[in-house]
Amino acid sequence: MKMKFADLKHMLDPKSVAIIGASDKPDKVGHAIMQNYIDVGFSGPIYPINVTSDGKIMGYTAYKSILDVKKEIDLAVISIPAQFVPKVLEECGKAKVKGVVIVTAGFAEVGEVALQEQLVKISKKYKLPFIGPNCLGVMDTRSRNDTLFLPTYKIDRPKIGGVSFVSQSGSVGSSTLDLISAEGFGLARFISYGNAAVVDEVDVLNYLAHDPETKVIIFYMEGVRRGKEFIEVAKTATKLKPVVIIKGGVTSSGAGAAHSHTASLAGSSEAYDAIFRQFGFVIANDIEDLLYYAKVFDTQPLTTGNRIAIVTNGGGHGVLATDAVSKVGLVIPELSKDSKKVLRKKHAAIVSIRLPLDIGGDADEKRYMVALDTLENDPNVDAILLITLFQTPGADERLVESVIAHSKRSKKPLVVVSTGSTYTKSHTALMEAAGIPVYESPTAAAEALAALIKYAKYKAGMVV
Amino acid sequence: MQLMDYIAARGLLKKYGIKSIDSSYVRSADEAVTFSKGKPIVLKALSDKALHKSRNKLVELNLSKDSEIRQSFNALSKRAAKFKPYKILAQHMSAPGIEIIIGSKVDPQFGPMVMIGLGGIYVETFKDVALRVCPITKYDAQSMINQLKSKRVIAPDPKSVKLLEELLVKVSRMVTQNKISELDLNPIILHSSTYDAVDLRILK
Repeated sequence: MKMKFADLKHMLDPKSVAIIGASDKPDKVGHAIMQNYIDVGFSGPIYPINVTSDGKIMGYTAYKSILDVKKEIDLAVISIPAQFVPKVLEECGKAKVKGVVIVTAGFAEVGEVALQEQLVKISKKYKLPFIGPNCLGVMDTRSRNDTLFLPTYKIDRPKIGGVSFVSQSGSVGSSTLDLISAEGFGLARFISYGNAAVVDEVDVLNYLAHDPETKVIIFYMEGVRRGKEFIEVAKTATKLKPVVIIKGGVTSSGAGAAHSHTASLAGSSEAYDAIFRQFGFVIANDIEDLLYYAKVFDTQPLTTGNRIAIVTNGGGHGVLATDAVSKVGLVIPELSKDSKKVLRKKHAAIVSIRLPLDIGGDADEKRYMVALDTLENDPNVDAILLITLFQTPGADERLVESVIAHSKRSKKPLVVVSTGSTYTKSHTALMEAAGIPVYESPTAAAEALAALIKYAKYKAGMVV
Repeated sequence: MQLMDYIAARGLLKKYGIKSIDSSYVRSADEAVTFSKGKPIVLKALSDKALHKSRNKLVELNLSKDSEIRQSFNALSKRAAKFKPYKILAQHMSAPGIEIIIGSKVDPQFGPMVMIGLGGIYVETFKDVALRVCPITKYDAQSMINQLKSKRVIAPDPKSVKLLEELLVKVSRMVTQNKISELDLNPIILHSSTYDAVDLRILK
C-alpha cells in the first residue's frame, strides 16, 4: 500500500510562530494563546497578527497580515472567526508557512462541511499541512511550543519526558494533561487534532511511531477515517513502541436489521477492539488506565514471563494482590531452593518462606532489601509487585531510598503498591519521580503488569 | 446484498476445503425419503424472510423412519407457507458435538473481518466471539481462539486448535477472494478431530 503522511515536525518543533488572532483583549482566545507562548517561554520569535492591530499586541510588534512579516515562519496558529479562516490560510500558503494549527471551531462539527472543504483545498494547493480545525492543537515540552488556549494558572504543564499523548477531543486532552502534570512521568508531545480535516490519526500515529523523543504513545480516539492505512501504520508503530489506546463512542452500527448472526455480533466497537488486539495496541478501558499503563511502559523493562513475586509488609494487602494477580491471568510462582535458603537464613522471623512474601508489619528497609535482592536473583521470578505500606513504624524515607537504589540496578519489572494519604503520598511521589510506577491498589498494579507482559509477548511474536 | 443459494454456497465452501454436511433440495416427501437411504436426516425450510429457522420452527431434526420423514415434510411445508418463496433442504444428521459459529462481515472502516465463537442457539446470549480483520494469519487464528472464554470447550487439545486455525484461515481466504458481504457458518459441529458445517448463509 502506498501511503502519504503529513510531516508534523514544524508544527511540533517550530523555530518561529505567528499567532493569527492575537489580541490585547483578555477575553479573546488569541490573547490566551499569545499569553501562554510568553508564560511557557517559547524561545523563538513570536509574530502576533490581527487585522485590527495598530503596531503592538501585548508588547510585541504586530502585523495586519502574515504577508507583512516577511520572515521565515514555521508555524501559524489560527484563532479567528470561522468565516475568515480560508482567507488567512491562503495567506499562510503565500507566506510559505510550513505548518498550521487551526484552533477555531465552527466547521464540519456543526455541519459547515463546505467551509472545511475550502480549507482542505487550500492545504493541497500550497502543500501546507494543518492540524484541526476545532482543536487544542499541540504542546511540545522540549521546544515549549504550546498552542493551548488554556491559561497556565488553570492547567499545569507536564514536565519533559518520553510519553506522547494524542487526543482527538480537546476536553479529554486538556483534563488528562492536567492529570499527567501531577504524575511522575513526563510528556514528550501532545497533539489534539479535532476535526482531522488534513492531519488525522494516521499521520499522528506514524509521526510519533518514528519520533525519537517518544517512548510511549497514549491515544484517545473517537474514530478512524482511513481504516486500511491506520492498520498499516499500526503494524509498524506497535512493534517500535507501546501504543496505549482508548476509543470513545460505542456506536451500534452492528445492531439494527442484521442479515446474519455475525453482523449482529460484530458491530463497530467490536471491530475497533479486534483491530486493537490484532495489531498489538494496549487497550485501556478508561482514562485512568492510560496513565497507569503509561508509567509502567515509560519506566520498566519488558518481560514475556508471567511469574509475579509479591513482597508485602501487610498480610491483607498480600492476599488482595495475590487475588488481583491471578485475576489478570498472571502466576505466583514457587520460590527457588536458593531463595528459600537465603530467606530462611536471613529472615528467621518470617514464619512461611513462600509467595506472597510477607516480611511483617515491623519490616524496615533492610528486610525489604534482602527480599528484593533475593527475588531479583530468583530464576522463577519474572517481575516484582512490591507493597510498601507507610503506616507502619519501619517504613519511612530510608525505605524509599532503598527501593529507588534497588530499581536502578534491577533488570526485572517492578511496580509498587502503596495505599494511603498524606504521609504515604509524600513518599510515593519520590519513588515516582525516580521512575518507579506506584499504584494505590493491587488491582491497578496487577493490570499494569499484565498489560506490560501482554505487549512484550506481542512484540516477541508470541500468541497473546 | 443477496443470499447465495444454499447448494451453490456449499460448492464455494468445498472449493476452499471447508466441509459441510451432505445436503440436497427435496421437492416432495418421496424425494426426502430417497435422500435419507435409511439414515437419520434433518429437514429445513429455507427462506430469505426467516433468518432464525429454529425460532420460526422451520427445522425438523433426527428423522429416521419413512413415515416420520413424510409427516415432517408435510408439516414443515405448511409452517413455511407464510415465508414464501421457500425451499426445503434435506441434510444428513451430524453426530452430536460442540457447536461453534464462524462468520464474516465487511466493516465499513476496516474491510472484511472474520469471527469465531461459541455457536448454536445461544450465540447471541453469550456473545463469546473473537474478531479479526482479513486476511488473517495462523498467529491471528491462534490468538482468536485464545481470546474466547469457551476456548477449553471448543478447542480442548492441540489437535482441535490446529483444526480451527486452519478452518479460520480458509474462511478468511474465501471471504477475501469472493467479495462476500456476510457469512454465517452456524453452527459448525465439532467432533474429536473433524467437524461438520451444518448450516450456512452467504450474502454477496
